[in-house]
Amino acid sequence: MNAVVRSVMGWSRSGIRPLFILGIILLALWPTLMTSAYQMRIFTIVGIYALLSLGYQFIFGHAGALSLTQGTFFGVGAYVTGILSVRYGLGGEFTVLLSIALPLALAALIAAPVLRLESHYFALATLGVGQVMLLVAISWQDLTGGANGLSGIPGLTLFGLEFGKGYGIMAVVWVCVAMGAFVSWRITRGLYGAALVISRENRIAALSIGIDTAQLRYAMFLLSAMFAGLAGALYAHTIRVVSPEALEFAIMVACLTITVVGGRTHIAGAILGAILIVNLPEWFRAMEKYYLIAYGIALLAMIVAAPYGLIGLLEQWRAKLLPEKPPAMPPAEPFIFVRAARSAAGPLLEIRDVHKHFGGLKALNGISLMVAPGQIFGLIGPNGSGKTTMLNVITGIYRADSGSVYLDGTDIHNKRSFVIAQSGIARTFQNINLVEEMSVLDNVAVARYGFDNAGLVQTFAAGRIDPAWKRARSNAMYVLEGLGVATVAQSAAGSLAYGLKRKVEIARALALEPRLLLLDEPAAGLNEGEQLDLADRLRAFARGGLAILVIEHNMPFLMPLAERMACLDYGDLIAEGTPAEIRANPLVIEAYLGTPEEKRA
Amino acid sequence: MKVSDMRRNNRRRDNCIGLLVATALVACPLAASAQAELNLPILVPITGFLSLEGTSQRNGALLAIKNAPSSVKITAEVTDTGSSPEGAVTALERSLSRGKVSAVAASMLGTQMLAMLPVALENKVPLATVSGTADITEKNNPYVFRFFPGDAVAKGAHVRYVLEELKKKRVALVYQTTAYGQSGRKHIVELLKKSGIEPVMEEALDVAVKDMSAVIGKVQAARPDVIMLHLHGGPSALFIKQAGAAKVNLPIVAGSGMSQPTTVALMEPAELKGLCAETNAAPVAGGSPQMDKFLAQYRAEFKSEPDGFAVGQYDATSMIIDVVAKGAKTPEDIRKALSGGSFKGLAMTYKSDGKGNMAHSAVIICYDGKTRMPKIVKRYD
Repeated sequence: MNAVVRSVMGWSRSGIRPLFILGIILLALWPTLMTSAYQMRIFTIVGIYALLSLGYQFIFGHAGALSLTQGTFFGVGAYVTGILSVRYGLGGEFTVLLSIALPLALAALIAAPVLRLESHYFALATLGVGQVMLLVAISWQDLTGGANGLSGIPGLTLFGLEFGKGYGIMAVVWVCVAMGAFVSWRITRGLYGAALVISRENRIAALSIGIDTAQLRYAMFLLSAMFAGLAGALYAHTIRVVSPEALEFAIMVACLTITVVGGRTHIAGAILGAILIVNLPEWFRAMEKYYLIAYGIALLAMIVAAPYGLIGLLEQWRAKLLPEKPPAMPPAEPFIFVRAARSAAGPLLEIRDVHKHFGGLKALNGISLMVAPGQIFGLIGPNGSGKTTMLNVITGIYRADSGSVYLDGTDIHNKRSFVIAQSGIARTFQNINLVEEMSVLDNVAVARYGFDNAGLVQTFAAGRIDPAWKRARSNAMYVLEGLGVATVAQSAAGSLAYGLKRKVEIARALALEPRLLLLDEPAAGLNEGEQLDLADRLRAFARGGLAILVIEHNMPFLMPLAERMACLDYGDLIAEGTPAEIRANPLVIEAYLGTPEEKRA
Repeated sequence: MKVSDMRRNNRRRDNCIGLLVATALVACPLAASAQAELNLPILVPITGFLSLEGTSQRNGALLAIKNAPSSVKITAEVTDTGSSPEGAVTALERSLSRGKVSAVAASMLGTQMLAMLPVALENKVPLATVSGTADITEKNNPYVFRFFPGDAVAKGAHVRYVLEELKKKRVALVYQTTAYGQSGRKHIVELLKKSGIEPVMEEALDVAVKDMSAVIGKVQAARPDVIMLHLHGGPSALFIKQAGAAKVNLPIVAGSGMSQPTTVALMEPAELKGLCAETNAAPVAGGSPQMDKFLAQYRAEFKSEPDGFAVGQYDATSMIIDVVAKGAKTPEDIRKALSGGSFKGLAMTYKSDGKGNMAHSAVIICYDGKTRMPKIVKRYD
């Protein structure tokens, strides 16, 4: 019992949680001080927008996609409630549920074409969806009431109980906010939450450790639609009118502003943002027609002062004024992070006649290579010769124009990146792809995503602490120890020296339990001692059965390490053999290594 | 004069002074309590796409308050409703929370009115508006009063002028996709149908459309003999300008948007030649000493030209002040007085039809192409 109390006390003291708890107490007390219907209505509207923003945090904050359909889902939810209650006389049990279901169905329908678009194309496509729904609402007059909309929407009734106005609807709205906050917290924590972070911050890195980023985005998009639909239903029952204004861009702008001002990923940010954005115009009302200028200045000031949202600013202050001790490091939990090939007889990796063109440029021109289990294979060549393109074709980031890639006898050509990673190919990058704000430990732990039932439902259903995340961090600690970088486990990855970052990236790749490890210039930034240390560790992994393909310009590092090597030049394979054969090959010397005289010159 | 007489006179004088003082003492509080009180929040859209019309409403209401008799003590706070129903309801709730509200000068935006109606009914507070949206007086809500011809009246005048005065039968109808546009279109089509006429073409335009060439092309292809416009001010001006440039030589009869001075100011006088429009009143055209006085006062006070909405809200506010001055004390008194009484305003005489429609007259104005000053060519009562 005492341990539980201590644990709760410890939790409540960390970060800005004391302020969060104080905020909840104030929010709970606020209604007791209300003396008018106006104050209740404002508080109710705040709750509705907080719910809308909580939902928007899934797609915009956690998935990092600038969706402009949140206002549309909100409007659709409001219209469903309006139509069902006015035209069919249905009660809240049905209107609310169907107001969640229809935006969910709409999101599922539009997700396929829209979600594969990137950045501003995604934003524009989602904006287009909103415009279509607005036109439908205006034009389908028989159903939607056209531009006038539908009036006379009754107050909310649930199973015969009336929550039409005042404290009733306010209580329902805030119970929904509390439930929404709980759902958001349960889903965005732990290993699933970490997968969301890396997917948002570095999609290529996430794919390289077997995370299906599209699936995460899809789940977040659906969740955002459900929250928006619920907020829309409550809005319709509160305002009692639904008109095309509910689908207009102004709602989306309000939602975006709340989320940016409050904080993109903080539950408290959605609530604080809604309190401010809904109340600010009211506080400035006395300025009559100039109130919008004051509102705009206040907003601008908030965004300039707190670019990561007000909650982010509070966290910064807390960290600066009352720094906390870093949490205790998890114990290292051993696991076998080198997966042996299923068959030791054939090659582990076989590349057959792979071609890849970028317009008129031949990046890979009929390349065939084989890497055996437990072999360290060096790939060299001048800059632009096609080495990194080769890695990208193997890992599915690029699709070869023709040819095949086999892993352990299975054709992986045309498979998606994350599937290839899950099948046992891990990699590092020429330009380091770590999440700078995340700790070293978490950067590595997230690679355990595919191993421990870390789905949305499992994360939601897990207890107060996600056991999958706990195990992943212990496993990550073990890998970090294996690479000799456990001492920096608590540091932010962005704060490390270049060479250490390289090692952390290798640790993350190893946490994937790979059969084949692809390293793109792993010795860059390491001093001679560190290079020797790394080479020793790689040899040890290879002895355990791990095949390693290394791209490197550092010949003193690579030549003693590699058992076989190949050299590319302008997309052609110009030589393959032992390091001694490669060193002596005249084509390699001419294209890449040069003669001792040339080097001196 | 004898001493006794002097004393008697002094006593009389003292008695008179005493009586006067006593009368004054009694009368003063009576006079103070006799001053009627009116709390009239002005909840109109002064930002957003209806800011011009909302500002006209505000100005009309404020001018009426300025001209109110001293016997009525008026409190009037202006609140922007923006253009969302939520903004209007919040503004109304806010006003209701800040003291006893007698009546409200309410937004002309139909969707905002529809949202405010249940709150007004719940709180038993009359709303006086110049919204043309037909629906607002079709909800059996006894607390709404419209001081602007509804679509039934305005579009009646619009259609009658086309059919009876211009004798046209091949109608091309271009309307807006907004509530204003859809509601007006419905009435125009119904009224034409009663006369056995189907429009030869109909086209709905979004307010954001700036290039009218496509719709003008469709109009020409349908070979009409008249164009009826039911667009907001800005789009009306754009359509007429571009139709002129495309040498469309057809009579155009527009909606009330084209009667607003702010819209007319967007066009050269020559571009207005032959153009007609329906409205409730054309204050800039004058027409009566009262209207001339209003026009001068409005220009001096707000440095701008009044339109029909300003006149409508002026008349609405004046009628409320009048009924309060005549003894209406509570919101319920005001509602009853507005429902049962009549009032001669600047634009017309207002009287409720039982549903809150107070305005039953409309006029057709036309421009001669020499000035931006319209002339009233037909009045429909």
